[in-house]
Amino acid sequence: MFIASDIMTDTFHTLRPDMSVPEAALLFRMASREEKRRIFGMLVVGPDGALLGMLSMYDLLLMIRPKHVQLWGVMDDIELGGLLENVCQQTKSVLVKDIMTTDVITVTPDTPVMLILDLMIKKHIRRVPVVDGDKIQGIVYISDLFYKIVDKLASESGGEKICMG
Amino acid sequence: MALVVKNSTLGDITVKEAMRRQTLSLFLDSSIQSAIKYLLKHKVSALLVTDLTGKPVGVVSKTDIVSAFYAGLPVDMSLESIMVGPPLFCRQDDSLEAALEKMRSNRVYRLYVIDQSDENVIGALAYPDVVALLYVYCRGCEQSAVNRRKSHLDDSAVLRFRVRDVMTPKVVSYRKSDSLAEIIEGMSQNRFSAVVVNDDNLQPVGVISKTDLMLAYNHGVSTEAQASQILTSPHVRSCDENEFIEDAIREMVFSELHRLFVHDDSPHNITGVLSLSDVARFRSGSCHACVGARITLK
Repeated sequence: MFIASDIMTDTFHTLRPDMSVPEAALLFRMASREEKRRIFGMLVVGPDGALLGMLSMYDLLLMIRPKHVQLWGVMDDIELGGLLENVCQQTKSVLVKDIMTTDVITVTPDTPVMLILDLMIKKHIRRVPVVDGDKIQGIVYISDLFYKIVDKLASESGGEKICMG
Repeated sequence: MALVVKNSTLGDITVKEAMRRQTLSLFLDSSIQSAIKYLLKHKVSALLVTDLTGKPVGVVSKTDIVSAFYAGLPVDMSLESIMVGPPLFCRQDDSLEAALEKMRSNRVYRLYVIDQSDENVIGALAYPDVVALLYVYCRGCEQSAVNRRKSHLDDSAVLRFRVRDVMTPKVVSYRKSDSLAEIIEGMSQNRFSAVVVNDDNLQPVGVISKTDLMLAYNHGVSTEAQASQILTSPHVRSCDENEFIEDAIREMVFSELHRLFVHDDSPHNITGVLSLSDVARFRSGSCHACVGARITLK
């Protein structure tokens, strides 16, 4: 039986609560480069290393979404570039702690993978921090969990007789 | 003497067409901080507060949050302690005119839309959405300044309403060294949602809005701090007082601003402010024909 520590990744970047939104964006990009995977959510960590919250792609996209989308069908004079610039101006004084999610669901290193799978489906989450006491040990990504299962399924099929057409 | 309303730009429109269907609500034991987060993320000015069974019991707006800041309440205090209740409702089949009148007479900036069973809140009607709808109508009307300009029609003979006819011809401004507490007092006395901040030479250097104050509250800034500490953009978004109302609306809708400051010939000389509520109450673009047909007295 797999447990969290088997499939978690223990190299991850974190955000600080007092970073501005543009600073957080920069870190998203940097983390994606260094971790060699597209990062869609990051842990927010206090100076003592404690987990304070999470900031996800959705938290940011909500702020970017234009308020009056319902007008778009009828308007032909919208300049998209201007809209984005406008949002960037607005987010300058917004800090990570202003928009992060604080009620974060966590698991422990020995939580069985199937429980994590259940949690991810029920709560619509795609990454779960693995916490041991006060210490963050890693993150379980739904993609890693999926590929662990895919590998298992593939090896069950014996890896042979796969018809390639 | 009762007001009878007919043929307004928004005359035949019901609440259903202008309302926003996503209603944001939090339980009354949620913290002020969670409300700040919610308002910021969803770009709204208020949210509905419900009891633990989901029944709506109050409203918390940016104004209430700024008041909590002024009063020195901790951000982890519950919404129950600052909410204003009960919420005011309308129905989706009500005329927009009637709903706007209810907003005006109750001095609120939004109504919640409740279904026939009187149990379920199905949306909210707020000034920004009314104004956005108004803009759509103006754009669709061949008499509007925008469309006449587009088809190169001579517009010089048409008398039009300009920003200066609708704006509030008063500006409340402060100096960079004034405290946030003084600014909040001035805002609440004048029912303004933003003030201009000037430097020592009385040149405008920025704007402080309720959103800025709400952020300052969440960031642990003291109300005794100077305005300069939370000024972000060295820019006052303003329009010329001779601009057509449609053009000013467009700017507000697309830039998601709740108000535009208004200047005269010199962009440095701010003479008033045009707010979304000014425009929503005016209920029209800039055509006299539209406005003339709007209200008759019985």
